[in-house]
Amino acid sequence: MLDRHAPDPGAAPMAAPDAQYLDVVAIRKAFKGVTVMDGLDFRMARGELVSLLGPSGCGKTTLLRIIAGLMQADDGSVILAGRNIASLPPHKRNISVVFQNYALFPHLSVAENVAFGLRARGMSKADAVKPVHEALALVRMQDFAERSITALSGGQQQRIAVARALVVRPHLLLLDEPFSALDRKLRETMQVELKSLLRDRGITGIFVTHDQDEAMGVSDRIAVMNAGRIEQFADPSTLYATPATPFVMDFLGLSTRLSGRVASQEGALVAVDTDLGRLRAPGTLAPGTPVLIGVRPELIRLDGGADMNRVDLVLEDVAILGSKTMLQGRPGAEDRLLCELAGIRNGKSRGDAVSFHWAVEDTLLYDLSAGTTP
Amino acid sequence: MTGTDRFFRALCWVMALGVVVFLLLPLVITVLVSFSSSQVYTLPPPEWSFRWYEALTRRAGLMDALMLSLNLALLSTAASLILGTAAAIGVARGQFRGRAALATFAVSPLMMPGLVLGVAMLQFFREIGLRDAYWSLLLAHVVITLPFVMRTLLAAMGSFDFALVDAARTLGMSYPRAVLRVLIPNLAPAYLTGGLFAFLASMDNYPISIFLTDAFNRTLPIRMLQYMEESPDPSIAAISTGLILLATVALAVAARTVGLNRLIQG
Amino acid sequence: MSTARADRIGLLVLPGLAYLGLIYALPLFLLLLKSFRDATGALSVAEFVQIFGDPLQRSIIARTLRVAFLVTLLALVIAWPTAIVMRSARGGWLSLFLVAIILPMSLGVVVKAFAWSILFRSNGFINQSLMTMNLIDAPIRLLFTETALVIGAANVFLPFMVLPIYAVLQQQDPNLPDAAATLGAGPYRRFFKVIVPLAMPGVVAGCAFVFSMAVSMYVIPSLIIGERQQTVAMQIARSFLFLRNEQLGSSLSTILLLIAVSVVLGSSWLAARLGARQ
Repeated sequence: MLDRHAPDPGAAPMAAPDAQYLDVVAIRKAFKGVTVMDGLDFRMARGELVSLLGPSGCGKTTLLRIIAGLMQADDGSVILAGRNIASLPPHKRNISVVFQNYALFPHLSVAENVAFGLRARGMSKADAVKPVHEALALVRMQDFAERSITALSGGQQQRIAVARALVVRPHLLLLDEPFSALDRKLRETMQVELKSLLRDRGITGIFVTHDQDEAMGVSDRIAVMNAGRIEQFADPSTLYATPATPFVMDFLGLSTRLSGRVASQEGALVAVDTDLGRLRAPGTLAPGTPVLIGVRPELIRLDGGADMNRVDLVLEDVAILGSKTMLQGRPGAEDRLLCELAGIRNGKSRGDAVSFHWAVEDTLLYDLSAGTTP
Repeated sequence: MTGTDRFFRALCWVMALGVVVFLLLPLVITVLVSFSSSQVYTLPPPEWSFRWYEALTRRAGLMDALMLSLNLALLSTAASLILGTAAAIGVARGQFRGRAALATFAVSPLMMPGLVLGVAMLQFFREIGLRDAYWSLLLAHVVITLPFVMRTLLAAMGSFDFALVDAARTLGMSYPRAVLRVLIPNLAPAYLTGGLFAFLASMDNYPISIFLTDAFNRTLPIRMLQYMEESPDPSIAAISTGLILLATVALAVAARTVGLNRLIQG
Repeated sequence: MSTARADRIGLLVLPGLAYLGLIYALPLFLLLLKSFRDATGALSVAEFVQIFGDPLQRSIIARTLRVAFLVTLLALVIAWPTAIVMRSARGGWLSLFLVAIILPMSLGVVVKAFAWSILFRSNGFINQSLMTMNLIDAPIRLLFTETALVIGAANVFLPFMVLPIYAVLQQQDPNLPDAAATLGAGPYRRFFKVIVPLAMPGVVAGCAFVFSMAVSMYVIPSLIIGERQQTVAMQIARSFLFLRNEQLGSSLSTILLLIAVSVVLGSSWLAARLGARQ
């Protein structure tokens, strides 16, 4: 329990079976003298689907372009299937990319777009017909082969981009915000569809996204990136349950945040003084250390035993979110208390005085003295 | 990026910079020659002097030609802006069929051989008994300027949100007033760009005007060509330098207000 | 907004339409009509038969077309790389290119043709430079040659070639060459299968515009090449202004008009075909 909570940004990514199909080592990149990536490592196994998740400007697209060869790293190596490809131009890497706006060639038909990679690899027009048809059938677009690209909807264009990328049997598939141009309903359908397509074909793929739901939905593991670093690289449930840093905690889902100071160590627990009283959390820290306390909202209840953490507050907001209700309190400018209740009939409203209870072992504890921003 | 890519890139850059030199060379040479003391066009000039600018005062009919060209350019541009605004609104907001064809028609004089237009107008004006050179020139110059105005206005109105005009009307403005107070200020860049190029096209037109002039109504380009044939000395370069200065100032103002990139759109 | 209201707004096109119809379309129509009538007013193509039967006129038409073709070709070859560079240029560089294009474009053809007539003189800048660089020993004749005409005209019309290509390139997704690279296309394949075809609509538009202007140019040849090597446009001006042979002038005008119109229509057909895919 204790180790799980200790923030450890330098931790090696979780070992995966058949690790190191793709091994990106010590990547350094600067733009006009400004270092945006300083010794980044990234590893994944064959057949894995991984997301690079982070806010815009975190370096996820830079990493994608370096892997694809569209951008040259200043230093570091990219090893794919045992071969260092860092100095190869993009057209010799056999890495397919689904671009954000799909980058379909407007002067070519649907079938010609899909055939492009095969033709570039020297396949004759006649030989390309069959694989192109199969690839189009895979994305259920075989009836659109002779259409013009501009006559297609966004969802259809995305399928063509996927077919075009897969037909060449790439070693690796990179997808740059592949769902961002689609509306919300369609996005959810396409996510499910694409995931099972890639899974069935055993494709090794990297999604670049800033959307946490998308990353959780499509990938086996997620690398959460911030300011050119990977903050944590783990499977979705680990990320959600035990975020390694406050950044990861906030980027994936909502949580209660309370700042405080360590009062004392009590065995495997530390006692923390906050504006709302003394709380306990698993961990080991010296007294006086400034800390941040986090709790996922669904782990908070309105009643509980004496062995639980407890705060009393006045509700500032009660939001009915369909299947659930979110109770919110704001004890301070930076502090926030969130409690998620199932259902909508719980009789609470703004201004009610309530108590939030949660188990001590569900409490996340972050050391703020190291200079990490909360 | 591969070596081949880099080679092509470098080649393109070399050619592009060559193009910049190629395009600006005639203007630079003209300006230099105009300040030369020499009668022949040697470069660099033996001495710098203003003698060709002084010589301009002795050029017969130069001032009249300049005034006529300015007069025609101003009036025809103004007329085109009025006709063009109405027509562009009609094309952008009307519901009738053939609006695309009409837009093409309005811009088509740009693609017509100027000389042929001049010949056609010459014969037509003669046929209907219009003998006055000034009015012939003015009527013709509206045909020269209107396509420039229409081209930019059509493009600008295509992306203008006409809900703004409707909003002004719900706030109590009549349709014409809403156009004047909302549409035109919002399309100011297009008016500036279209109006500027229309004005310059009228100032510079030779092939149409040459058929419509008489001894008393000679536009500036016609006078200049006449001087070149009669006595081709660097005073023509001095006139050219004046025109280059005019264009530079106009473009600098336009570029400051709407940006260089906007100038080439539409 | 009701349809009635919208229809009344449609009426706003009428003044402009009437003006262009009367002062622009009608005169051209009458010119066409006139060139197909003989002196008695009967329908006839005799004038055209005579023009195409005359070896001198035939050679003038051939020269006009040849010069226009060469001008278009030269402009295209130097405009394309320029447009590509402009597409990726930023800040001060882009401004430099735009100024170099817009400033000459807003100057009259008389000014530029005059400049070229100075440049091409035997003691002019070009000869001097070539001699300084030891490329030639004695001045070569440039003025009054077709080469000089092609260079001068390409200079004047160049902006009209660069701008449409630049506009087309600007609208494109900049990722397309990258996408081709990730699909395995090397530099040559990227160039010939992606970059060139994508620029085609702009290339066609630019070529059509430059060709139709070059075929009917008048001021440039009369200053650079003079009366010795006539073009169709110079013939037209001469037949109206000096020869007073209006029948010949009208017919030649019709030929020029038909060339220009067919280039415009042909190019828009081609552009529509190319654009149908895009």
